[in-house]
Amino acid sequence: MIVAAFLRGLFRRRGRTLLALAGIAVSAALLLDMTMLASGLTVSFGELLGQSGYTLRVTPKGILPFDSDAAIANGDAVGRRVAAVPGVRAVAPVLGAQFRLVRGDSVSEPLFTFGVDPRSQFLYRLTSGREPGPGEVLVSVPMAADERLQPGSEVALAGDLDVSLGRARATRRYRVSGVGDFLYNYAGEHSLAMTLADVRAATARASDVSVFGVSAEEGVDDEVVARRIAAAVPEVSTYSTRELMAEMDKRLLYFRQLATILGSVAMVVTALLVATIITIGVRERFGEIATLRAIGIPGRRVLLAVVTEGLALTAIGCLAGLPMGLWMAGRLDRILLAFPGIPARMTFFAWEPRRVALAMGIVIAIGAVAGCIPGWGAVRAPLGQALREEAE
Amino acid sequence: MIALALALALMQGPPPAAAPPPAVQPAPTHTPEVLIERRLAESVPLQVGDTVRVRSLSGRGPTLPFVVAGVFEREADPIRISRNEMQLRFHLPDLEALLPQKDRVDRFAVVLRPGANPDSAARWIEGVAFGTRAYGSAALASQSSATFRVISRFHDAIGIVTILASAIFLLCVMIIRVDERRRDMGVLRLIGISRSTVFRAIVVEAVAISIVGSAAGAVVGLIAARVVNAHYAAVYDTTLKFALVSPRIVMTAAALGLALGIGAGALAAWRVVAVPPQKLGER
Repeated sequence: MIVAAFLRGLFRRRGRTLLALAGIAVSAALLLDMTMLASGLTVSFGELLGQSGYTLRVTPKGILPFDSDAAIANGDAVGRRVAAVPGVRAVAPVLGAQFRLVRGDSVSEPLFTFGVDPRSQFLYRLTSGREPGPGEVLVSVPMAADERLQPGSEVALAGDLDVSLGRARATRRYRVSGVGDFLYNYAGEHSLAMTLADVRAATARASDVSVFGVSAEEGVDDEVVARRIAAAVPEVSTYSTRELMAEMDKRLLYFRQLATILGSVAMVVTALLVATIITIGVRERFGEIATLRAIGIPGRRVLLAVVTEGLALTAIGCLAGLPMGLWMAGRLDRILLAFPGIPARMTFFAWEPRRVALAMGIVIAIGAVAGCIPGWGAVRAPLGQALREEAE
Repeated sequence: MIALALALALMQGPPPAAAPPPAVQPAPTHTPEVLIERRLAESVPLQVGDTVRVRSLSGRGPTLPFVVAGVFEREADPIRISRNEMQLRFHLPDLEALLPQKDRVDRFAVVLRPGANPDSAARWIEGVAFGTRAYGSAALASQSSATFRVISRFHDAIGIVTILASAIFLLCVMIIRVDERRRDMGVLRLIGISRSTVFRAIVVEAVAISIVGSAAGAVVGLIAARVVNAHYAAVYDTTLKFALVSPRIVMTAAALGLALGIGAGALAAWRVVAVPPQKLGER
C-alpha cells in the first residue's frame, strides 16, 4: 500500500515525472547505443567472416588479409599442405590484383580483382549468370549497374598501363559470366572476380596466392585447426575468426573507448537525474514520511517505497529509451558506414541481448541506488523534528 | 612517402662470419643506409650503426643488408592511428633494389612555379602521363580527411544527444526548484510583486545555475581532455591530441548552456506565473 501510494505520487506530479522519464530515456538510449557500438563492428565483422563457412584465413607471414600486396610464394604447394592438415574441409585460394576497364583510349580507375577458384570461394554470392571460367569475369552488382553489364557482355581489361606510350598494356577481352554480391565490398564498389589462372597469367605472378580461406570440418574447433596449420606450414600466418576479430578490435580501439567514455557519462547523467528527482520528491514528502513513521509504519517499508519509486522511474525510462536508442543507432550507423573501406554489409551497432540487458540492468540498478540515499535520509531523520517541519 | 610492408630480418652488429643464408645477397662494398622510426628502434631495439637485413614482402625480392644511419620520429599523423604501422626510410634506388618491379613510383609531389595554374598543370600532367591522376593539395587533403569528416559528423550527432539530455536535466532541475517554492512565489505575488518580476527572478536563477554549471563543465572538460590525451598518447605512442578544449569550444559550450538555462528558466517560470497566486499554495 505504501509503495502504491508513493508510485501514485509520480502520477500526481505528471509534468515533472514525464520530464524525468524523458531524461532517463535519452540517457538510456545513449547508453544502449554505446553498448551496441562497443562491440558492434567486431561482432558484425565476425558474422561476415563466418557467413561463407570459411572461418580461417592463411596469409603471408605477419600480414592480415589484403593488408598489403604481399603474397604467399608457391601458393599451390602451400595450398596442398594446408589441405592435408587434419580437420581442414576446404581451402579457397585468392590472388588480389588491380585491373582497369579499357574503353577506347580511356581507362577506368583501378578495379580490385580477385583471382579465385570458382569451385571454392568465399568472397561473393552469385546473383545472376554463372561462375567465371577461363577468359571470363564476374562483376560486382554496382559495377554491372553503372557499366550496364550483364552475363554475356564483353569487357576489355588491362593489368598494366604504359605511361610513356599513353596506352593500356596487356589488354585482354573477357566475357562477363555473371554478376555477384561481393561480401566485403564497400557500398557501390566496383570489383571483379576471375579465375586464379587468369589473374596469374595477366599479372605474371605464376604461383602467388594473397590469402587462403580455410573451412574446418564440422565439429572441429577452428582454433585447433589454426594451430595445426601454423605448425604444419610455419612460413605463413593463420588467423581464426576470433583472432581476426581481435585484430579488428585493435584497429577500432578508439570507438570502443569512446563508447566506454560516453556510456559512463550516460550512466552518471542517469544517476544524477534520478537522484535529483527522488531527493526532491522525498524532501517534499518529508512530513508525509514522518507521519507514516509516527503511525507505526516501519522505516524499511518507507525505504522500500522510495527505492521502488526510483526503480519504476528508471525501468519506464529504459523501456522508452530502447526504441529511441535503436532509432538513434540506425542514424549513427548511417553516418559511420560512410567510413572509407568499410564493407557495406557491416554494422557499427550490433544487438547483443546479453550486453543490452546488462546495460539496461545497470541503469535500473542506478535508479534503485539513487533512491536509497534520500530514502535512507528520510527514515533516519529525527521524528519530532520532521513532524514539526511538516506542521510549519 | 612510399608505404610498403617490409619484412625485417634483423641482425645487430656486423654480419656473422658463417656463410649467410642463400637468399641473402652478398653485401655490396658500400652498405646502403636506412632510417628507422623511433618506435621500431625502441621495440627491437636498434641503434645507429647496426646492420639490418631487409626483404620486401611484395613478390620475391632479395634480402639486402642496410646500416641504420639514423632514427627518426614520424610526424603526428591521424591517418596512421588505426593501422599504427612502423616505417623505414630508404634512398629511392635502394628501395627499388628490394622490390620485384623496377622503375615504379607510387606518387610524385610537384611544386609549381609562382603564378602557375594548378588545375591546368594537373590536366596537363594527366594528359602527358597516361593513367595518372593529378590532385591539388586541397583536393588531396579533402580526400584523405574523409575518415575524419565521418568521425566529426558522428561526434556532432552524439553532441546533439548530449545537449538534449542536458536540456532535459536542466529543465527538470529548474521545474523542481520552482515547484519547491510555489508557496513562496504565491506569497510574493499576493503582496504585490509583479508576474514579470517573479518571471525574471526565476530566469536569472536559471541563468546563474547554467553559468556555474558551464564553468564547472569547462573545468571538468579540461581535466577530461588531459586524461584522454594522456591515455591515447600512451596507447598509440603519439603526440596527437584526441581531445581539444579551445577557447572557442568553451565559449560555444557556455553560450549553449546559457541558452538552455534561459529556456529552462522561462519554461519553469511560466508554470508559476500562469497560475493565480491563490492556487500556488495548494499541494
